[in-house]
Amino acid sequence: MNLLVVARWTLLEARRRRLLAAGMALSAAFVVLFAVGFALLYHAQQRDLVSAQAQGAAGLDASTELLLVSTILVVLGLYGVQFLAVLLGLFLGVASVSPEIDSGALHAVLARPLSRLEYLLGRFLALAGLLTAYVVVMSGALLLTARIVAGYQPGDPAKVVALMVLQVCVLLGVSLLGSTVLPTLANGVVMLALFGLAWLGGIIGFVGSIPPGNELMANLGTAVSLLLPADAVWRGASYNVLPPSLLVAQSLTGDEGFALPFGSTIPIAPAMLAWAVAYPVGCLALAVAAFRRRDL
Amino acid sequence: MSPTASAEQAGAVAGTSGEVPAIATSGLRKAYGSRVALHDLTLTVPAGEVFGFLGPNGAGKTTAMKILLGLVRPSGGQALVFGRPPAEPAARRRVGYLPEHFRFQEWATGAELLDFHGRLAGLGAAERAARIPELLARVGLEGRGGERVRRYSKGMTQRLGLALAILHRPDLVLLDEPTSALDPVGRREVRELVRELAGAGVTVFLNSHLLTEVEAVCDRVAIVSQGRVVASGPLDDLAGAVTQLRVLLDRVDRAVLALLEGHGQVARVEGTAVTLDVDTLDLAPDLARELVGAGYRLYGLVPVQRSLEDIFVDLVGEVREG
Repeated sequence: MNLLVVARWTLLEARRRRLLAAGMALSAAFVVLFAVGFALLYHAQQRDLVSAQAQGAAGLDASTELLLVSTILVVLGLYGVQFLAVLLGLFLGVASVSPEIDSGALHAVLARPLSRLEYLLGRFLALAGLLTAYVVVMSGALLLTARIVAGYQPGDPAKVVALMVLQVCVLLGVSLLGSTVLPTLANGVVMLALFGLAWLGGIIGFVGSIPPGNELMANLGTAVSLLLPADAVWRGASYNVLPPSLLVAQSLTGDEGFALPFGSTIPIAPAMLAWAVAYPVGCLALAVAAFRRRDL
Repeated sequence: MSPTASAEQAGAVAGTSGEVPAIATSGLRKAYGSRVALHDLTLTVPAGEVFGFLGPNGAGKTTAMKILLGLVRPSGGQALVFGRPPAEPAARRRVGYLPEHFRFQEWATGAELLDFHGRLAGLGAAERAARIPELLARVGLEGRGGERVRRYSKGMTQRLGLALAILHRPDLVLLDEPTSALDPVGRREVRELVRELAGAGVTVFLNSHLLTEVEAVCDRVAIVSQGRVVASGPLDDLAGAVTQLRVLLDRVDRAVLALLEGHGQVARVEGTAVTLDVDTLDLAPDLARELVGAGYRLYGLVPVQRSLEDIFVDLVGEVREG
């Protein structure tokens, strides 16, 4: 199985290039920062609410208010995780093929009885595995922190993590495709621009969805999401953070409800989810087709 | 060197030399946009032969080799390696390759790189464990396998490349300028390695612009220039295609040149020495008698065996001028 040989080699490369060590050190710092920030903000909010209620202020009941604060903090923390994971996915994808072509290191490798399909799939699998582990560990650490500090129970943590992994695979797929057809630097620029565009598309779509709603903006957001369904998948993930009780409280309070910055209070559309699943597969297929035609 | 003998011996040892040639190309062509790197390359390399592919830089040698490895897609024509198109991964199972620029993943150690390639080539764990230290020693990298390739000198990297090329005991080895980074001792070692491979019945396809190297080890050569084969054949035939006589006289004037032209074609005149292209060396005694009879003093009449370099320069020069 030469595909697995390539995957194994790719993991060795990640270790040798100190990617894992650097990634883990920085990520640990991120988790610690989140834990400290979350604990401080949560307890401060708790004190304020207690004193406000003592003065007889009206509004949401204290537990719902606290739940809302926790949710916003968790979504922001996970937003940070997905941002790091996305950048990591882009960098890994961009660096996956074209630098090896440019340096000529691929000549000896592809002269072996190894098909270009096996090579690309092996690269993708190893990098996707790394990114999955990263997302699982990081988001797991964040959710665990929230649980310990505030007893926080997200709506569906498995879906949150699964969608975040899907998002990273979308970016890995498209940057790996870029890596087979573009020089490294050009690919990096294109991928960052594309990601920025998707982010902006998400914001536009979000603003368009705020009541009374702006159909044109919502559609524009959807169109951009089709180009790169990264932000849309993240928003889908963020929806699954929301605890059911909060959603119930939201529906009780009527139209206004609440808005999540960088997140979503509505689930991902099934069609968008299907598109996001098909997207990395399509990118890989295109990458294989392009790479097969490429002269080295 | 005895090309026929070594070819026969190789065939006997290899058992692979049946009817299927190691390499067969017909009308092979590669164009990058409007630039044609390879025109109509047709050649056959029987199994067990050491074949020299000679040409100046940019003649299309590397392109041809890359097509034979499936790294480059030909624009036209056909290439077969042991009867199979090289784009099929399985066709490359019996092939070893040393790339021209011998660049490898620099973050890995030499031993790791050999292990990776051993796995890709389908060697089992026990085989790799035995073969890798043996190969490192064979190419002069004993005890250096644990160092990262980044720390290797150019020569060491090329040696590692040679080890990678012969790692899985291939039946065909393609070497693209295999001694470009080596010192004279290293070059000699590579020649020995090529002879050893030939002795074991391995077909060797050697790209080089170093003529002495090719002369020393190859059974047959093809000279390629600007993407075309301008000459090919056994080395002795190529070298013997044109015969020259070097005539040393006391003086050179018009009359003697006219006399010489009667027997061949004057290739050049250097002082009182005239180099004459002739069809046969048998005319030397008659020529000597005529020169002396005409009153010239003859200091020497020497048959000149043309070196591969002369042939090369002549042929490549012709193509460039043409």
